[in-house]
Amino acid sequence: MKKWLSVVMTVVLMLTCLTAFVGCGGKEDNTLVMATNAAFPPYEYKEGDKIVGIDAEIAAAIAEKLDMELVIEDVDFGAVLTGVAEGKYDMGLAGITVTEDRKKTMDFSDTYATGIQVIIVNDGSTIATLDDLFVFDAEGNPTALKNPDIKVGVQENTTGDIYSSSAVDAWGFNDLNEDESVKTDRVVRYKTGAEAVSALKSGKVDCVIIDNEPAKSFVAANEGIHILEGDNEYAVEDYAICVKKGSELLEKINKALAELKADGTVDKIINKYIPKDGGATE
Amino acid sequence: MSVNATVNASDYGASYGGDVIIDVRNLKKHYKGGEIKALDGINCQIRRGEVVVIIGPSGSGKSTLLRSLNLMEFPTAGQIVVKGQDILAKGVNIDRHRQKMSMVFQHFNLFPHMTVLRNMTLAPMTLLKRSRNEAEKTALDLLERVGLRDRAGAYPDQLSGGQKQRVAIARALAMNPEVLLFDEPTSALDPEMVGEVLEVMKSLAENETTMIVVTHEMGFAREVGDRVIFMEDGVIVEEGTPDELFNNPKSDRLKMFLSKVL
Amino acid sequence: MTGFWESAPKWLVDLKDDFVLNFLDEGRWKWLLEGLGHTLLITLVALLIGLAIGVVIAAVRSTYDKNRESMELHKSVGYYVLKFFNGVCHVYLTIIRGTPVVVQLLIMYFIVFASSRNSLMVAMIAFGINSGAYVAEILRGGIMSIDNGQFEAGRSLGFNYVQTMIYIIIPQVFKNVLPTLCNEFIVLLKETSVAGYVGIVDLTKAGDLIRGRTFSAFMPLIAVALIYLVMVIILTALVGMLERRLRKNER
Repeated sequence: MKKWLSVVMTVVLMLTCLTAFVGCGGKEDNTLVMATNAAFPPYEYKEGDKIVGIDAEIAAAIAEKLDMELVIEDVDFGAVLTGVAEGKYDMGLAGITVTEDRKKTMDFSDTYATGIQVIIVNDGSTIATLDDLFVFDAEGNPTALKNPDIKVGVQENTTGDIYSSSAVDAWGFNDLNEDESVKTDRVVRYKTGAEAVSALKSGKVDCVIIDNEPAKSFVAANEGIHILEGDNEYAVEDYAICVKKGSELLEKINKALAELKADGTVDKIINKYIPKDGGATE
Repeated sequence: MSVNATVNASDYGASYGGDVIIDVRNLKKHYKGGEIKALDGINCQIRRGEVVVIIGPSGSGKSTLLRSLNLMEFPTAGQIVVKGQDILAKGVNIDRHRQKMSMVFQHFNLFPHMTVLRNMTLAPMTLLKRSRNEAEKTALDLLERVGLRDRAGAYPDQLSGGQKQRVAIARALAMNPEVLLFDEPTSALDPEMVGEVLEVMKSLAENETTMIVVTHEMGFAREVGDRVIFMEDGVIVEEGTPDELFNNPKSDRLKMFLSKVL
Repeated sequence: MTGFWESAPKWLVDLKDDFVLNFLDEGRWKWLLEGLGHTLLITLVALLIGLAIGVVIAAVRSTYDKNRESMELHKSVGYYVLKFFNGVCHVYLTIIRGTPVVVQLLIMYFIVFASSRNSLMVAMIAFGINSGAYVAEILRGGIMSIDNGQFEAGRSLGFNYVQTMIYIIIPQVFKNVLPTLCNEFIVLLKETSVAGYVGIVDLTKAGDLIRGRTFSAFMPLIAVALIYLVMVIILTALVGMLERRLRKNER
């Protein structure tokens, strides 16, 4: 929720209010139109003109269960939400995190994927909460870095790398307001999570942002480091499928999803794109 | 001087009153714990203005003796007394000693990255602090003497073997040394070029240059040498005037040697 | 333009899309630029460090080799000092040439400079120390390859060891080893591709990062390979020019 809240929600809410009045009828044919924003690997991205990724494959599996023909529309992320809300698309899968605000304008299926990125620090580190990393505005969105000299260790190409490499307002450590000449890369990308952790222990980086599962094993195996507990996860993403509020599709989708979860299809798809050890894909 | 004369300090003191400039005393060079004896007790004296020719079969130690005189080789025992100072003693400035004792090598050893003129002026300018003009004038005069004044700007690669050796002799002379050492100066030359080099050496000898020459050129030894030293197995076997050695050899070893080379 | 892409064959459009995705989207080409900068910076500084180390070590080693005989005659303090440093150099050469550079880099990063946060500096030092060993041996080989007669000619004129080196040997060594040295630097340039192991975004790592974000292998890998190739081709051409020039000066 933290990631998308700031810009997107305002726009979405306004558009939703406007378009709600316009409305339009549902489709009668046998196609299942999915909206996505194909710039969010590994959930959805383009390979040639084909949209692939976890969401695309899950959607395809659901369509198969429902015996419908899947059509994927690639639009702006904002347009995914608004389009679904107004019924232009049957469903939206775009790595969409379930938030209270979004629940007001659309319905969400059961979660099909969860991503948690946690922060590991040395015992006795000055970083104890997220407030030690970022300065937040009244809405809880990061606006600046607390310490511009910070170094963040990540495993290259993991979600932790990608998030922390982005701008401050998207929870990254890249201060866009900074002068180009003094701009430094605060994210140090290691080949393995273990190297990032040993760099943390020797003080080369101030914290390590990494997937929850490997983080647990690192902390278990190393003295003197811990995961920031409580409400201090770096990123938590419960991804779910959104549909128009009150859509009769929701029940069918949940039923299909449950079956796909039960027979391991969902896990298989997710594992294909995000290996269990938290390693980089490819 | 007799074949096995040992020169002790008092002898030396007496003879130095004259014009002995190098006095070699019981010089030894042993390798491998004495297994190989390149030099095994050499005693000899070199007088100013003298041309001493050292002859002997390959491996007799004649080159080692010559190279020991300017410490291209390091003897393991004995003394080399140059004008009253033992150059093998600790704390002797060998480089200064070498400036006074120039060497001409079998393989010329010209500096390939320098012109003939630069080959000749480098040491005088650097070591004797001569001005460029002065050094170049001397160099050109010397080139004139060896008949190569017109090749001053050439690189060594552009010269024939005989020309290279003549330049090497001129380079050695440019330091205005007291003694010139020649280490088989014609051995690496094509036969037709030997003559021109020997001619230059002969003219030097006529100018009273002190020269010690290791050579296989028996004609040169006989004609130019004031004294000839015959060495074998690291010792001086016989020593005397060319006439004494070539016409009346006393030892069997010298007779055997001469019968092979003459 | 639009018209062209609409009528273009599919493979070409795919290629264009792939290109846009890997290099233009989100300014990913900046990774490559940054990586190239770091690669060049590490190579250049390592080269200078390597040269400095190489010259010192070659000097120690060849001085020891050339003067051992004369120094054994009168064993002075200098002899033992030189002998000691020669031994140190020998150990250094053995270790550096006997272990992979990436292991040396990791040792430097995680052990020797464990508390340093400047990974670029650590990499420069690690690659410099590594390169120094090879430069030293190239230089020493160059010195030893000069005919001993050149030393003797210099010494016989009265030059001391250092003067002989400076006026007579080094100029000849320089000509002989320059091409080999340049080749060592080309090797060094490519060897810095393991800098990513210590979190540096060098050219190779830049390609990896793009690959990890676009999930496409072709474009980033080929681009990185091409950039290395172009640099090496340019350097090789320069070395060739230099070599021809040096040979011409010989005459």
